[in-house]
Amino acid sequence: MRIVRFMAGWQIRSYLTVIGLSFALAAPVLAAAPYYEGKTIEAIIPFPVAGGSDIWIRTIAPYLEKNIPGNPKFNFRNIAGGRGIPGMMEFALKAKPDGLLVLVSSATNYFPVLLGDKAAKYDFRQWKPLLVNPVGGVMYASPASRVKRVEDLAKAKDLFYGGISAIGLDLIPLITFELLDLDAKGVLGFRGRGEARIAFERGETNIDYQTTPAYNATVLPLIKEGKAIPLMSFGQLDDSGNIVRDPAVPDLPTVPEVYEKIKGKKPSGKFWETYKVFMPSAFAVQKILWIKADAPAEALRVFYTAADRLEKDKEFTVKTEKILGGYPLLRGDRLEKTIQQAFQIDAETQRFVKECVSKKYRVKFD
Amino acid sequence: MWDAALIALERFANPHHMAMLTAGVVAGTVIGILPGLGGIACVAILLPFIYTLDVHTAMILLVGSLAVVHTSDTITSVLIGTPGSAAAAATVLDGHPLAKQGQAARALSAAFLSSLIGGLIGTVFLTLSLPIARPLVLLFGSPELLMLCVLGLSFAGFLTGGAPLKGGLAACLGLLLGSVGSAPADAVDRYTFGQLYLLDGIPLVGVALGIFGIAEIVDLLAKGGQIAERIGLGSGWLQGVKDVVQHWGIVVRGSLIGVWAGILPGIGATAGSWMSYGHVVAMASDRERFGKGDIRGVIGPESANNSVEAGDFIPTLLFGVPGGAPAAIMLGALYFYGIQPGPRMVQENLDLIFTIIWSFAIANTMGAALCLFLSPALARLTWVPFAKLAPAIVVTIFFGAFQSSQQFGDIYAMLGLGLLGWLMKQLGWPRAPFLVGFVLTKPTEQYLWLSISRYGAEWLLRPGVIVLGLLLLASIFWIVFGKRAGENIPGEESTEGAIRLGKVPSVLFTLLVFVVVAAALYESRSFPYLGAIFPMAATIPAIFMAAAQIVLDARAPREAPEIEERKKTRLALGYFFSLVLYLLLILLFGFGIATALFIFVFLYGWARMAWFPSLIYTGVVVGLAVLMSWLLGLYWPQGVLLGQ
Repeated sequence: MRIVRFMAGWQIRSYLTVIGLSFALAAPVLAAAPYYEGKTIEAIIPFPVAGGSDIWIRTIAPYLEKNIPGNPKFNFRNIAGGRGIPGMMEFALKAKPDGLLVLVSSATNYFPVLLGDKAAKYDFRQWKPLLVNPVGGVMYASPASRVKRVEDLAKAKDLFYGGISAIGLDLIPLITFELLDLDAKGVLGFRGRGEARIAFERGETNIDYQTTPAYNATVLPLIKEGKAIPLMSFGQLDDSGNIVRDPAVPDLPTVPEVYEKIKGKKPSGKFWETYKVFMPSAFAVQKILWIKADAPAEALRVFYTAADRLEKDKEFTVKTEKILGGYPLLRGDRLEKTIQQAFQIDAETQRFVKECVSKKYRVKFD
Repeated sequence: MWDAALIALERFANPHHMAMLTAGVVAGTVIGILPGLGGIACVAILLPFIYTLDVHTAMILLVGSLAVVHTSDTITSVLIGTPGSAAAAATVLDGHPLAKQGQAARALSAAFLSSLIGGLIGTVFLTLSLPIARPLVLLFGSPELLMLCVLGLSFAGFLTGGAPLKGGLAACLGLLLGSVGSAPADAVDRYTFGQLYLLDGIPLVGVALGIFGIAEIVDLLAKGGQIAERIGLGSGWLQGVKDVVQHWGIVVRGSLIGVWAGILPGIGATAGSWMSYGHVVAMASDRERFGKGDIRGVIGPESANNSVEAGDFIPTLLFGVPGGAPAAIMLGALYFYGIQPGPRMVQENLDLIFTIIWSFAIANTMGAALCLFLSPALARLTWVPFAKLAPAIVVTIFFGAFQSSQQFGDIYAMLGLGLLGWLMKQLGWPRAPFLVGFVLTKPTEQYLWLSISRYGAEWLLRPGVIVLGLLLLASIFWIVFGKRAGENIPGEESTEGAIRLGKVPSVLFTLLVFVVVAAALYESRSFPYLGAIFPMAATIPAIFMAAAQIVLDARAPREAPEIEERKKTRLALGYFFSLVLYLLLILLFGFGIATALFIFVFLYGWARMAWFPSLIYTGVVVGLAVLMSWLLGLYWPQGVLLGQ
């Protein structure tokens, strides 16, 4: 940790000093030869270069290289396309118990499993989460929708929401509309949340959501200009798996809170069950770095220790704030149960979601 | 605003920054020249290097490389007829015939100069529009964007050369190929045959490289000898400059089209350069020479493809929405520095914006100069027997195609489309409309979908839509009743050839097209609602056109192909086979061993090079590949037998 604190700024001089120092400090440890010393860890990213998951791992990798004993080097392989399935399968088939191949996953990779896609033949139970990073989502409306406060949603007419696909992250807002019984229609087919936000700005849609980092950068200015009204967050999970307020936007109510406000009772019913199943994998445990379950214990341990160190590292926190969205980088072992639970779905809920989506948004499941 | 511009300019007095810019320009130039690698590869390859730099230096490096890719990709397109990047495919049409006629110097200098001017006009436009860009972009809703795409599609009508029916069919085939994969909004997977690879559709790089690149390589190999007669590049350099001065109007219009294609989301460099090419043909009073080496056909797309990148910066920086794929990667780089592009960018990071703008302008100039400096040497490559060049080019293409998604599917697609492209060329089917159709399918369909699901039928009544609709009608009117192209007999050097394979193959090919189209139509009946509109719009007219074409083909006078032509065809098929063999070798033994084997056998066995030079050649190519991969941490395709 002393080494890390030393690393203020990116000046070459201090950089070199640190390298020297780490050699000096590493010398006595060398006797024990850290597991990853001189090795290269390959990270499979089932998404294109510069997608959210790609930036996430490429940003934290240099810090991991520094904080894992032996300073291994990270290499990246982007296997894009096919809803992320080819990349996941490559990891499932190629990973050996040596801990040298790791995998980055995101919500896109969990939804095929939750929706019972037969092509997604990977099993999360054979892997262990090393690092976890949650992200949040915030919904907002335009003044043109005549929604001034979140309570007005119930009587609002003709809400239009711009989304990408009904079987991706947009499922969460779409289910929210159903849960809250809103007169909202999803206009799907945008190529990204950014494009959907442009459509919101030009008045094509009047209700929208963005992940918290994007919300802070692009929607807060709109709110200041009076062009957007913040409504609610999708929430985060607490240690026992309950949906609580998002620490990144603590002033905004969560979806279940809004339900209580509008309906006057605790949420229940099938849409609520669906929300509870899908929200965590979409947001609360969105980014996960995986390793094969039979990897050496030391390999797992060094990642967990690195996460502990990074938690206390001011420079890391400041430098990665915008990318991690203000959420901590969590140790995988602490969340393992929550994660494995998040990927469980009962047959009834699965059937319900598929029916609901295919009826309203004409999705064809195999 | 101007203070920030000056402060940003001062940065370039710093030798460190100038060195970075130069590094970027050199990297961009090399990547542009390598066939198949374009802006995306460029930024992706440089990305790992920026993590130790500060944000300004990093942007100088990235933008420096991005700004020159579409200048240098011209070199490959003109000299070898293989698009240096997907966006340069339009330049192949007229640039390559010029090279074959020994006018490579003229084509190149005209291309570099119009690239440079296009880039600079783009920069100026970008600067001036900073204060008004946001409302300007917001003016275009989904319906207006849809109309722009349709307008772009209608340009395909101008690109049919002397064969309107075949051109229309080619455009329909392009549309059909473009609708492979998930329909927008994921409602249905179309023509995927259960293959995950096809879910996202076939990547543009594979299509452009196959239809133009592989087809041209095989054709050149079969022809034998070198690309151009050794008559020297001559005084063509000056002629090229004169051409640009004479056609300054095309340069200005082309770059404005490019800037717009960049600013509007979802259109991109490839569509931009084709639209520019289309507009040049549409507005020309004499169209006989297009496709056979008309310098205007070089100036048009070249002035557009650089300014597209400038236009791309507007949605990227002001909205945080990438205008194209390279911009998406730039966006990623900005996130890495904790900069969230968006409305606040102009207030908070104006100097960064100007760093980007200046880098773009300076790099553009440096890139054009560098290319001008390099091309006399590179142009000599056209005098080398092509069989000696081919292995290195093929290896680069294969590796480049694999890198884009790390799936063998890209290579299968490229080879398959290469065969299609070669057949189209031999049978006198224009390939330009095919690519235009393919490139514009996705955005057109997306905006059609969005317009209908948001506005119902009301979108047709929006004022912007009506204005663009009138333009569209005018364009269609012009295609139908405008000056016909005249006799238009393709010459020996032209990209779009005459029928060389004889009557029977001609009829068989059209029949095959008919069957494919009919099968696609049959399949599309199971697609729900909007998902079926596009496949049907492509296949229903295509069926009638194909039927008419079969009649035409059957009625054509029977001319037995000359013996020489037959020999060439057999040779070409042999070369195709060797490419397939290379793919099989990769599948079995992995990229490294397969490449060494392929190059050596090709040179020693086919090209009849002596064994020692062949060995050296093989060693150099494999060595370079190893070096590049080691430097950049690239992954090699692995084989089943010998992988790890």
